[in-house]
Amino acid sequence: MADTHEPTGWIGARLKRKEDGRHLAGAAQFVADIRIPGLKDVAFVRSQVAHGHVRGIVKPADKSAQVFTFADLGNVNVLPAGPEMPSFKLGPYPPLAMDRVRFAGQTIAAVVAGTRGEAEDIADTVVVDIDELPAVVDCVAAMQPGAQKLFEHWADNAYITSTITEGDIARAAAAPIQVRRQFRMNRQATVTLEGRGVVAHWDRRLEELVVYLSTQGAHVMRIGIAQSLGLPEHKVRVIAPDVGGGFGGKNRLMPEEVAVAALAIKCGHPVRWIEDRREHLIASVHARDHTYDLTISAERDGTLIGVEGDVYVDAGAYALWPTGSFMETSMAARNLPGPYRIKALKVNTWTVATNKAPMGPYRGVARPGACFAIERLVDEMAREIGRKAFDLRRQNIVTKAELPYTTVGGMTFDTGDYVASLDMARDLIGEVAVRKRQSQSESDGRAIGVGFAFYSEQSGHGAAEWMKRKGRIIPGYESCNARMNSDGSVILAVGTQCFGQGHDTTYAQIAAHELGIDPSLITIRYGDTSTTPMGFGSFGSRSIVFAGGAVAHAGRQLADKIKKIGAHLMQADPATVHIENGRVHASSEGVAASLPIAEVARAANIRQELLPAGMSPLLEVTSTYEPRDSAGVFSYGTHAAVVAVDPDTGVVEILDYAISEDCGTVINPMIVDAQVQGGIAQGIGTALYEEIPFSSEGQPLATTFADYHVPGALEVPLVRVGHLMHPAEGTEYGVKGVGEGGAIAPPAVLGNAIADAFRSIGAQPNETPMTPRRVSDAIAAARAAMGVRS
Amino acid sequence: MKAKVSLVLNGESVSAEVEPRETLADFIRERQGLTATHLGCEHGVCGACTVEVEGQTTRSCLTLAVRADGMHVKTLEGLAADPAMMVLKRWFHDEHALQCGFCTPGMLITARDILSRHRAPDAGTIRKELSGQLCRCTGYANIVKAIEAAGRELAGA
Amino acid sequence: MKSAPFDYFKPGSVADACARLASESGGAVAIAGGQSLVPLLALRMAPAVTLVDLGGLSALGQFAKTSDGVRIGAGVTHAAIEDGKVPDPSGGLLQRVAGGIAYRSVRNHGTIGGSVALADPAADWPACLLALGATARISGPSGERVEPMEALLVGAYTTSIAAGEIITAFDVPALPTGTRWSYQKVVRKSGAFAMSIGCVIVRPDRAAVVVLGGTTTRAQLLVETATAFGGDEARLRAAIARDLASVQQDADDYVKRLHTATLLKAVREAAG
Ligand SMILES: Cc1cc2nc3c(=O)[nH]c(=O)nc-3n(C[C@H](O)[C@H](O)[C@H](O)COP(=O)(O)OP(=O)(O)OC[C@H]3O[C@@H](n4cnc5c(N)ncnc54)[C@H](O)[C@@H]3O)c2cc1C
Ligand code: FES
Ligand code: FES
Repeated sequence: MADTHEPTGWIGARLKRKEDGRHLAGAAQFVADIRIPGLKDVAFVRSQVAHGHVRGIVKPADKSAQVFTFADLGNVNVLPAGPEMPSFKLGPYPPLAMDRVRFAGQTIAAVVAGTRGEAEDIADTVVVDIDELPAVVDCVAAMQPGAQKLFEHWADNAYITSTITEGDIARAAAAPIQVRRQFRMNRQATVTLEGRGVVAHWDRRLEELVVYLSTQGAHVMRIGIAQSLGLPEHKVRVIAPDVGGGFGGKNRLMPEEVAVAALAIKCGHPVRWIEDRREHLIASVHARDHTYDLTISAERDGTLIGVEGDVYVDAGAYALWPTGSFMETSMAARNLPGPYRIKALKVNTWTVATNKAPMGPYRGVARPGACFAIERLVDEMAREIGRKAFDLRRQNIVTKAELPYTTVGGMTFDTGDYVASLDMARDLIGEVAVRKRQSQSESDGRAIGVGFAFYSEQSGHGAAEWMKRKGRIIPGYESCNARMNSDGSVILAVGTQCFGQGHDTTYAQIAAHELGIDPSLITIRYGDTSTTPMGFGSFGSRSIVFAGGAVAHAGRQLADKIKKIGAHLMQADPATVHIENGRVHASSEGVAASLPIAEVARAANIRQELLPAGMSPLLEVTSTYEPRDSAGVFSYGTHAAVVAVDPDTGVVEILDYAISEDCGTVINPMIVDAQVQGGIAQGIGTALYEEIPFSSEGQPLATTFADYHVPGALEVPLVRVGHLMHPAEGTEYGVKGVGEGGAIAPPAVLGNAIADAFRSIGAQPNETPMTPRRVSDAIAAARAAMGVRS
Repeated sequence: MKAKVSLVLNGESVSAEVEPRETLADFIRERQGLTATHLGCEHGVCGACTVEVEGQTTRSCLTLAVRADGMHVKTLEGLAADPAMMVLKRWFHDEHALQCGFCTPGMLITARDILSRHRAPDAGTIRKELSGQLCRCTGYANIVKAIEAAGRELAGA
Repeated sequence: MKSAPFDYFKPGSVADACARLASESGGAVAIAGGQSLVPLLALRMAPAVTLVDLGGLSALGQFAKTSDGVRIGAGVTHAAIEDGKVPDPSGGLLQRVAGGIAYRSVRNHGTIGGSVALADPAADWPACLLALGATARISGPSGERVEPMEALLVGAYTTSIAAGEIITAFDVPALPTGTRWSYQKVVRKSGAFAMSIGCVIVRPDRAAVVVLGGTTTRAQLLVETATAFGGDEARLRAAIARDLASVQQDADDYVKRLHTATLLKAVREAAG
């Protein structure tokens, strides 16, 4: 079947979600809601210090049987993690610390008790003797000669370093206009509203370990747990029940999860650990933490030439299984040229180990930082040469005629119209009216600014791309097992994981389209390794492209067989048969006949005598799918925002926010718009609110939601979304992924809007989150440089 | 020390011997097995644990079970037949006001309280009243729309 | 994140409560709305042996008009004040402040007494009641005493309340007609504790009162700024700078800009 299938009917329908009912009834089942008789709670003893040698762990005498150290867990393998490259240094992350702790919050011992409170009581009495070492908290200083090392056997603190040199570097160096800036995107947490959690028990009847896990990818976690515990994979079943958000933070195997799985075997009764918010903030997956020192070069006429400089990513104390966070630097570097016809790229990158929680993926992975850097640089270049930033962007952005276009960073943009996207965003935000308002002064003394930022979002990248990245696991396909029951209802089992994205609904729409039946007849199953085919889970905006494609293929194969059986039952020529509205229709020689698909299903499942001779019974297939082009497809868009900034308090209010976006063919517009709005809310968090700062001793300073500010309903504006639609060429129906885009551009667009409000003095909002203090300080510094009283 | 707690949970009398440190949230979830009430922070900021105590929205993570002795407590499970709640749920579904659903029970209970105190509130009022309910998925827009629509419907407007 | 174990005591009277608090000095802790104390317990940051529950004491939940204002029981909730259930002698200031604290479900339980007793430097009631010239009524093992807010607030999380004492009520004087006030606060996000609070009250019969909250110590009366009220911006800025130098010595440039902006805004609004 051709990849370009005419989208009709259910494709593009605003179908309300199938998964809402259980949540609205309060009947959803998250990991913490699982009840198994005999269940006991686990609490962890965690390191109070950022760095040190563990000299001893003293258990309370009367409770020592309830306290487990690494040695007590039995044979646990500490898995190598990170890319499979000789140049990548390994730093194993044990489920419980052995002789060294490398960040404040690292698990040292596990305590099992009847309630979580009792477990915490005992944990408080475990005495850990640690010889403290100096903490490494600054990733740039960590690379200086003589810096304290995290791993003695490493030559320095870098997991990996690289230099990317592409294009005409000499021309960039000789360019007449050079603008150099430093940017920082600080460390944050991923903050799913449901924290991580694990419930594990040994099922005596099936002789297998059952692990309920709040995860984005049950199958991959099963592999990790089986390898960690030395069990064959068929003896481990991982079940992801309802998952309360993922965003990347639930896509790595974490120490608590391995420890609890091991304890279930060791203790012989069910155990659970539910991450609390403090644990989430100090010891879950951390994200961002990029430092840039970059120079952008241009001709006098504004033609951009090159980007050059240094990128540091502070990856924390360990690499998380399977792939660590090393993609972060290469993706940041490769995205630095943005959508522009930049011809030279020279970037040195460092992925650095520090005494902070390990870094992992988070919605947008690396691109929020890269987008912030390049889009702020374009605005700064515009100011330098006295041009409007919007015009400079439009002058340099890749045009529709140039697509497909391979950037100097090696990304191949496929379909779209980037110029139209810019123009649409400008019109949506009403730039003319904003400029007019800006020219008059505000009665409250605030300054108005408008900013633009373009982003692109790679999705659907397959095996070749992941092999380039040397992944330990290559998520190059997805699969779907489709089964039509005897009454014509359908069960689709997939290997991706829904944690709010509406897969139950969109996959059903795709199958309904292919099978000509109503989506209400279709059930989607995921998140259980024993009932679903192998798959890699949901991340990297891959689900609709990969699993959607697998569902389409499975549906088509079922439809083919349904048509053959239907034709046989109606004694029609199979070539004249099609399915529509729940029936198989034949229209040979002017005679129209039809029969319900359910009759075909009945024949195939329980009345084999009705099948054509030689045809196998059942309507069941398992398909795998990988898009034609492994390089991926690119969603893109332009964010536009208007802000009001109080120059003294530094408080930023978002007055308006609009985006023009293009994610190819849309399966369900309601869900796409909601992904955009939700992604932008997270991006606003990165831009203005969320940060985990560290003291010089390596203590995390935001450990509750009182210090770690998650934007609420008054901080996140209603986003107006405009659509362009340029279907992808290499995917089913022309879809492109949409999960991450919203989160990529907010720091860039808000930085540009704030800078625009103070363009006359050249304020530099170049560090996220752009807190009131940072914004006010940036304005004061610019005023001081201009000799204006603040 | 344990203390006896007797309260009316969703219309049914329940009692138990509890440790004073046990929160109402844990009492409802662990002891009574009602799991619509979620815990997103356990320090009063996220609102996921919101229930009704004596008709007032209450963060069940900040309430000790012993202090709810003798009181009427309602969780989302107990509001299934509540007319305003039914309208809200319908609009939450129509407006796609939930993604992962973890914040949803707290959102619904808070939304019902908002509509009981404000007749057909506008979006600005709803946003202010909702500011203590965190949602990590939706970016709030559809939640605000759903409450606005439910408010209009309930006000007969 | 669960509290360490503690005991629970439900006193029958204020005297009962004070006796228990006094008998276990250091170990017994009063609990009112629990909206600040319970999270501190859950984080195991506030060790407690016995919680003495003030919640059931009807004496603390009352309010009444007095000859020169209103008496508000320490156990009155923010929500009761927000909803106008308590007579407001301040021309709407109390109601406005109450409605701006945290979130409704916290306001339903959090009390004015608990807020003052905790003395979080960024909290709203200490700043507001200080500006209003309120006095606290305090009961203890040795009887009742009254203490003006200025004396009650000692420093960050520190008050003059002694072991075994509890606040029972606040006497809030009425503001005469013609009074103007402004209450400004700057927050990181809605419902969060303030980074800066400026409260200005201008009665027709007295000099202006200016209070700064959100410092690193306690809510502070700003004398110089109050004196400069009505003056031009330069004079006000100079006065604020002098006040800041005395009430928050550790203020860096940003904190100075922040507080100055908050105070100027409050002063301007109160001046009309
Ligand atoms: C998410 C969140 C946001 C918040 N935001 C704000 C805000 O913006 N502004 C603000 O002002 N507050 C805020 N608060 C705090 C809230 O106002 C609390 O209600 C208040 O600080 C404490 O009141 P309480 O009655 O709950 O006291 P409790 O928590 O019960 O007690 C607090 C302390 O006061 C003592 N205490 C209580 N009552 C008395 C008494 N009568 N006599 C002597 N000691 C007593 C207790 O022993 C304890 O040490 C917030 C709270 C939360 C959870
Ligand atoms: S869990 Fe109670 S407010 Fe977050
Ligand atoms: S829907 Fe996921 S937190 Fe609100």
